[in-house]
Amino acid sequence: MIKEILKNKSLFIGAILFSFFALVCVTSLFWTPFDPKEIFDGAALLPPNDKFYFGTDDLGRDLFSRLVVGSQLSIGIGLIVGGISVFIGASTGLIAAYFGNKVDHYLTQVMNALQAMPSLLLALFVVAILGPSIFNTILSVTLVSIPIMYRLVRSAGQIEKSKDYVMSAKAVGAGHFRIIKSHLLPNCLTPILVQTAVCCSEAILNIAALGFLGLGIPAPYPEWGTMLSDSKNLMQTSPHLMILPGLCLLFLILSTQLISDGLRDQLDPKLRSR
Amino acid sequence: MASRCVKLLFSFLFISLVSFSVIRLIPGDPAQSLIGERGASAERIAEIKKNLGLDQPITIQYLKFLKNALAGDFGESISSKQPVMQEFKILWPATFELSVIALLWSSIVGLVLGILAAIRRNSFFDYTAVSLSTVGFAMPLFWWGLIVIFFFAVRLGWFPISGRIDVIFDVPYVTGFYFIDTLAAKNYDAFLSAIRFIILPAFVLGTIPLALIVRVTRSAVIDIAKEDFIRTAKAKGLSPAKIIIKHILKNAWPQILTALGLALGHLLTGAIMTETLFSWPGVGRWIVQSIMARDYPVVQAGLFYSMAIIIFINFLTDEMIKFINPRLKDKSI
Repeated sequence: MIKEILKNKSLFIGAILFSFFALVCVTSLFWTPFDPKEIFDGAALLPPNDKFYFGTDDLGRDLFSRLVVGSQLSIGIGLIVGGISVFIGASTGLIAAYFGNKVDHYLTQVMNALQAMPSLLLALFVVAILGPSIFNTILSVTLVSIPIMYRLVRSAGQIEKSKDYVMSAKAVGAGHFRIIKSHLLPNCLTPILVQTAVCCSEAILNIAALGFLGLGIPAPYPEWGTMLSDSKNLMQTSPHLMILPGLCLLFLILSTQLISDGLRDQLDPKLRSR
Repeated sequence: MASRCVKLLFSFLFISLVSFSVIRLIPGDPAQSLIGERGASAERIAEIKKNLGLDQPITIQYLKFLKNALAGDFGESISSKQPVMQEFKILWPATFELSVIALLWSSIVGLVLGILAAIRRNSFFDYTAVSLSTVGFAMPLFWWGLIVIFFFAVRLGWFPISGRIDVIFDVPYVTGFYFIDTLAAKNYDAFLSAIRFIILPAFVLGTIPLALIVRVTRSAVIDIAKEDFIRTAKAKGLSPAKIIIKHILKNAWPQILTALGLALGHLLTGAIMTETLFSWPGVGRWIVQSIMARDYPVVQAGLFYSMAIIIFINFLTDEMIKFINPRLKDKSI
């Protein structure tokens, strides 16, 4: 098993990258070089140096500490959104696949309409109506990722549902809930796992995008997208303010995408030879 | 086909319902929130409600909205006092021009790179193409845009930072497409300027579609190259070029087309970010600005159109795939 994972380059690199970010995130809960909110007098816009590893921002706050603490928001919210959308998307998807007919029809209509909206636009819209806050960011980004999960799980569930073992479970007299929980769910686990990683990466990207457009998590929190947006007008004098948060974001998203690619190759033997 | 058209119709009805509900979803009184915090007299509020049609029963409101939407009438923009449709007509060519250029370069380059990577599988070129497309697909577009602006516009100064054409040129509005309008006016300097202005945003907007198309083309070509009929074609002594074009690509089209449809969806989302970054006077930037300014009639129209376009694109790609590969006709995709 471990040997196989080592062979699977995407999963391996993705897992290492993600563990690195997770480690940084957990460490930052207990220790950062400086307080990310502390403003140092006369230290504004310093380039990277011995005292401030990544330099300072326009108010004189330590960029390294802010980036490290920002990982809590990206990873934390990414995982929360991934979790919620798995729960709602997968359960509605399985229900639609199992019951079919009208239930399936109406659920699919709603999800199609949600999916027809460009995800960023929908998220923007929800935040614009409800106002920017951490909760609303989570809500809007989750809303965007549920339909994608729903679609995948539904089509996987439909294939499983037509198989004989589901029929025999029905014949034995198993209830609806039991069939969905202990027969359909375990057999649809592959697409669910793969899609969870995709959901997390989309969530991280959308949170940052909202922040960049000025509708993300509000000010005192050091959010990467908001930091990028603040750096826009300073790119000529202090390019480090723009380059570093973006790199963090890119590598975090890359790590989750590599994990999802790797998981798919690992769990779906048909694709393994590619 | 017929049942799919009915489904399409239902989808349009549904999105009209969604965009209709938008104004009514705002917590509190929309008329009040449109006026702002300073408050207004009861008559003024009643007047606004009457203008928005909010004083009528909800079913009548919806039917009216549907009738007007079919005629392309989405009311007046609150900030500019212009009919929403008129603003949209002026802005959409900018977005269309940008998207077409982005899709063109990314699909041509993507197809070529994907095929080359598949032919030279496991070579250095293949690894580079695959790794770059993986990174490209994960790229946060707004950061990528900033980096591109930083290097090519600020540091090197090769291209302008923002806008659609140099301010010294006054292009008469005929079609709204600057490439066509400038050529029609025989103003070749303006044409060159329009090209200089579109390069950076089109480059940024095409990045994610490019990554997607490279990946899909590569894996589709590799898949089909394994099939028996390719071995037969090789045994017949056909030239490699003929095998690739006549046998492999022909069978890879459905997968590539699906990716192109997906790429179009990415383009629409990407246009929002790219246009905001480059101050490109198009629909994406307009919708973002209207959302920020709570210009609800504009948002309503923007939502309706963007959803309609995506649904229509999905429908078209499905139908085209079935046309190319009739074996899929019975399956619902």
